[in-house]
Amino acid sequence: MLSELLQGIESGGFLIIRGKLIHILCFDVSEEELKDGLKPSDTQRLHIHNAYSDPLGWTGHPNFTVQQFSLEDLTNLVKQTSQPKPAVLVIDSLSWILRHKTPPAVCQTLQQLRKGGAVRAVIGLLHTDMHQRGTVGSVCHLATSLISVAPGVKGKEAVARVTKRSKSGKVMQDEEIFCIAEDFTVTILSKPSHAEHKTNSTEEEQTDPTANLTFNLRLSDSELEAKQKLTLPFVFSKEKKTALLHPGPGSGRILYEPDANDDYDQEDPDDDLDV
Amino acid sequence: MFTELNSILNTSPDSYTRGEFILVSDRQSDASFLIHHFLSFYLRARCKVCFLGLAQSFCHYSAVSQRLGVSLTQAKEKGQLVFFEGLKECLSVLTPKENNVESEAMNFLRDPPVGLRSLYEFVRSSVIGSDNMEEGAEQWGPSVLLVDDLSVLLSLGVDVGAVLDFSHYCRALVCSQVQGNMVMLVRCNGEEDDDDDDDDDGDIGSDVLLKGLTHQCNLNLHVQGLPTGYCKDIHGQMEVCWKRRQGDAPHMQKNLFQYKVYDKGASFFARGTSSAVL
Repeated sequence: MLSELLQGIESGGFLIIRGKLIHILCFDVSEEELKDGLKPSDTQRLHIHNAYSDPLGWTGHPNFTVQQFSLEDLTNLVKQTSQPKPAVLVIDSLSWILRHKTPPAVCQTLQQLRKGGAVRAVIGLLHTDMHQRGTVGSVCHLATSLISVAPGVKGKEAVARVTKRSKSGKVMQDEEIFCIAEDFTVTILSKPSHAEHKTNSTEEEQTDPTANLTFNLRLSDSELEAKQKLTLPFVFSKEKKTALLHPGPGSGRILYEPDANDDYDQEDPDDDLDV
Repeated sequence: MFTELNSILNTSPDSYTRGEFILVSDRQSDASFLIHHFLSFYLRARCKVCFLGLAQSFCHYSAVSQRLGVSLTQAKEKGQLVFFEGLKECLSVLTPKENNVESEAMNFLRDPPVGLRSLYEFVRSSVIGSDNMEEGAEQWGPSVLLVDDLSVLLSLGVDVGAVLDFSHYCRALVCSQVQGNMVMLVRCNGEEDDDDDDDDDGDIGSDVLLKGLTHQCNLNLHVQGLPTGYCKDIHGQMEVCWKRRQGDAPHMQKNLFQYKVYDKGASFFARGTSSAVL
């Protein structure tokens, strides 16, 4: 599903770049760092808007500030290239914007961008460990497709959890292991379901403590049966209860005839009071 | 300058990658010995160093650098080192005297919401200002910014977002524009992965700051105590984490070393190969 997603959008700031017009709004990285490693044929189709060098307007002549992250300014930015087709907007990164603008404002702008016609698709990068869960949840809820990347078991691999919400309301989820080659092509490796089986088998393979001893701690089958049949002396099972409460015939009976010595009155030890 | 650390990082005063942001972080430990290493390293590499010493006085750094074979007073006189003594500047803001010209850089002490823009302007003037040199002055290499340490700013009341903005702007200026290097120290107190909501804001702030800076940096040196406890011969462990290496494949590379700090240096070795063990 990851590959379908990547091909469906036909772009990707740090992944494969193919086809249509792509605008990249850079907050986190400089233009040179972004272009590093990409082929010149690909970089021609990219329009990189530098919001990295002065996003807050401290130098006095900023290129693009974080305050300009609104529908009108972004639409003007994208329409600068004067192409008839709507473009794809890549935002690196949404975390930067979320630090300076309130989450509701950012969500509103993203939703307006989606509804407006200037931009065909918006791809945003979010560092989830930088924000509270509520903020992350709100932004992720807006997205039609969500790719969560986590480090994989081996060094170069990573695990991607893909959630796709289609227009009909159907939600599809998938988990895949992928790795990125030096020329930025994404290779989907196997699914991680077998990794869970691996952890189960390691638990079962725990060492058996009764092995490798000089004495025998194991039970044979007949001994195991006898052990299970044994009733413990102080366990109050149902049979014992009934046996005690209802003494059957043949069990010991106690016959008692009251003796004069047993009739000891605490208040009249000599038994000579006439009360 | 620690020669073993140079071989681990594959650098030397004669050849080092430019445009790098090196983040030195520690958790319940003290990584300031790495700041002394980088200070002596870049002074030996004949770079122009701008040092924001917010945690200690100039005499402290001078004394330690003397042991590493570098004289800070000489570097300052020659114009190679621009030293910002945070402790002194704080006093001049808080107790202004008539003759003292108040430096603008620490004006966030009076008004923390203002942020660190003036501190950034100070850094900018010392990094860019080196272009306008008098004739006869020595030519220095690329500019380097060293900050010791950013967590002090948090404890002085500055917001985490403001510190992240400051480091972003410094990176845009020093690493991208001037193609120099930047080394910053961040200290955390809390335990890792502590989701307890009862933590006081200080711990959460420094953790968020560390996470934000880790995303921005090229190389992260994370210093921690040993997970097994105190040891006389091994002072701690250091994790070297390479990110965003230009020209390499886009994935992270991590290495773990243990270290011991001596009087005139520090030695780094792989886990289990300390001289006390072997």
